[in-house]
Amino acid sequence: MSKNNNISLGHIPEEIRPPSRIPPYLAAILSAIIPGVGQILGHAVRRGIILLGSFLSIMGLVIWRFRLAAPRDVGVFNIIKKGLHLEPILILVTILIIVLYVLIIIDAYNIVKVRDRTPIGAFFMVIIVFFALGWQIGDINLYTFFSQADEAIPALSKIVWPWEKAITQDVDYVRGYALIEIPCSDNPPPPSSATEGEPLLIANPTCGNLTVDEDHPGTLLHLVGKDFIPGIEADIMWKDPIRNEFRQRSEGHYVKVIPDENGDFELDIHIPYRLLPPSADQPTYIWKVFAQQVATVGSKHLSSDFKNIVERMIETIFIGMMATFFGVIFALPVSFFAARNLMSASPITLVLYYLVRAVLNIIRSIEPLIWAIIAVIVVGLGPFAGILALTLHSIAALGKLYSESIESISTGPIEAIQATGATWVQTVMFAVIPQIVPPFVSFTIYRWDVNIRMSTIIGFVGGGGIGFLLAQYIRLLDYKSAGMAVWFIAITVAILDYVSAEIRAKFV
Amino acid sequence: MLEVRHLTKIYDDGTVALKDISFSVAEGEFLIVIGLSGSGKSTLLRCINRLIDPTEGEILWNGVDLAQLQGEELRKSRRHIGMIFQHFNLVNRSSVMTNVLSGHLGYISQWQSILGRFPKEDKIKAWEALKRLGIEDQAHKRADELSGGQQQRVGIARALMQEPKMILADEPVASLDPVLAHSILQHLEMLNQEDNMTIICSLHYLDLVQRYATSVIGLREGRIVYQGSKEDILAMTDEEFKDIYGEEAERVGSGLEGNITHEGGEA
Ligand SMILES: Nc1ncnc2c1ncn2[C@@H]1O[C@H](COP(=O)(O)OP(=O)(O)O)[C@@H](O)[C@H]1O
Ligand SMILES: [Mg+2]
Repeated sequence: MSKNNNISLGHIPEEIRPPSRIPPYLAAILSAIIPGVGQILGHAVRRGIILLGSFLSIMGLVIWRFRLAAPRDVGVFNIIKKGLHLEPILILVTILIIVLYVLIIIDAYNIVKVRDRTPIGAFFMVIIVFFALGWQIGDINLYTFFSQADEAIPALSKIVWPWEKAITQDVDYVRGYALIEIPCSDNPPPPSSATEGEPLLIANPTCGNLTVDEDHPGTLLHLVGKDFIPGIEADIMWKDPIRNEFRQRSEGHYVKVIPDENGDFELDIHIPYRLLPPSADQPTYIWKVFAQQVATVGSKHLSSDFKNIVERMIETIFIGMMATFFGVIFALPVSFFAARNLMSASPITLVLYYLVRAVLNIIRSIEPLIWAIIAVIVVGLGPFAGILALTLHSIAALGKLYSESIESISTGPIEAIQATGATWVQTVMFAVIPQIVPPFVSFTIYRWDVNIRMSTIIGFVGGGGIGFLLAQYIRLLDYKSAGMAVWFIAITVAILDYVSAEIRAKFV
Repeated sequence: MLEVRHLTKIYDDGTVALKDISFSVAEGEFLIVIGLSGSGKSTLLRCINRLIDPTEGEILWNGVDLAQLQGEELRKSRRHIGMIFQHFNLVNRSSVMTNVLSGHLGYISQWQSILGRFPKEDKIKAWEALKRLGIEDQAHKRADELSGGQQQRVGIARALMQEPKMILADEPVASLDPVLAHSILQHLEMLNQEDNMTIICSLHYLDLVQRYATSVIGLREGRIVYQGSKEDILAMTDEEFKDIYGEEAERVGSGLEGNITHEGGEA
């Protein structure tokens, strides 16, 4: 037997292997030809197979990655050259593989020579190579992570603090306009006249020509505004004959004016440059020039995005609740069929037990999101699909947990209550129920918690709830609304976490 | 008067656990059953209250053959036979009070018990049982919060609620340390002497047997190999004891016999 005084880090003593039939140097040579073979023939069979298997899979992966980096090149040398050039990590991987190769040869020599030691250097190297490969396959790039973080900050800060979007105020447009004929005809429109309660914009003249280019500016118009809202910026805008609105520019800036304390202003503008579509072939058209103010009206109130999010959040909580509810109702009877101690009475029930267990395991191993995709195909988009998916998964998960707690009932108390002369019903009430109710309650609450978490994302695949909205906001790059949704999810889940932990602590 | 005649138990798998056992116990006796593990002690006790159905034989108790009873009659007879277990067999998650009250289930209507309601007298009775065993202050704790010795006393209180004429105790002290063993057995002795209950108890330790038994039977491989009175057992030497009992026989330890108080060793 092995000598215990050989114990040291990196050398795990195991039972001495049978003596090798080949000498150490031959083992080393064999492992140099095919890594691991030296160990196998040197009676360290399992070690040899593991090393050989690892080496072969590493080689396979590396060849794949090189090929992927240089898909169009021909010739081994060219492919390697291109691969190393495009994917510098492959250089490191290649070096590590060479080190591994050498270590396996040394390992073959040592394992045959020193029979009561099991060096782990080669295995350690295998792990390092896999790690390096994983880095390359996973396309891990810390440089992009840090260099692009700056660009993400505006979006992220919207998500972190999105609440300006929770509140809005309705706006009203205040406009005063004048009709302008372009080009001038014999009878241009009359100047605008005042209307009660509305601002007035008077242009002089009321006809003219469009700007052609920098050297030929349009007709100079003198605009006089009256009865606008004092102190609020007004944009000068145009409406062309085909009813497109656009803003007046001057030297590259939009033209704005702030009315004085009486709500009056005066300014000069050139009729702007504007191309009309070829179909506009009448000799003269009436355009509108106008000054527009944006005035807030009414009090601040919650935005429609905010309301939407709240509504969907409520929907989400109910999806989770209904799924838990249905899950419990179906899982209760199912769990009795999945409890071995109840089903081992006869071969038929035992077959049923294995069947139920197998079905539950299959359902459980498929993620709720995938079930949701299937449910959407069946019942269409919306919360019902989410409820179906989560219900199915809950039945399987709860069925298993419930049946396990039925299996772990201890028979002692049942026997003891029976011995007092209690009836069957009384025995169930006093010895069985108290044993299964607390774990059932605990598992149910746990499941409720899981279901509400799941229902927040089930909407990503169309299963209704807040996830649906969140996915939409992210696609529209509306990070503030997305941020509000994320906040609601986080708050709800946190509250739920706390509540469910509290309730469960009372029952277990 | 309990009279067991030609009792045989063969389990479904063919194990012969009891073979033609006959003995009798007078009312008010403290009968201790000794024997190696696997000798059939538990099987014997469980046949008496019919947790196990005997294969053959009669168990006459005050003229009624317990072995023949079924259904309601069996249930009614069980009410008068308390049972105490090695592992206490309490419902862990229920309160001590509920555990004790459940000893009285045989006397109350099914509907009443489904609602979890017990008559007020029952609660008083349960309280008194707990008080008698010195654990009334634990009444509202969960059963599994109690120590082993306390749990076994709850087990005895539960049996007391049955108003039993006989108590079966299957290795009641095997899970407890020696000091507690005495405490528990003294409670049983108290019931035996004050209430004139018949006690049938299986035990492991010679000194406990000598201290508490008024009569003894020894089992080996399902047969009775020793039958003796208190005098016989007091006169028995360790060697003779080992002879019947086998090498497992042991004493709890010197100096502990006798005068341990009821609360001894328990915090
Ligand atoms: N349910 C059972 N099925 C089959 N054999 C059993 C069963 N219970 C006990 N036995 C066997 O019956 C014999 C007596 O067991 P038991 O009465 O538990 O002995 P003791 O309580 O003295 O240790 C043992 O051989 C045991 O293996
Ligand atoms: Mg036993």
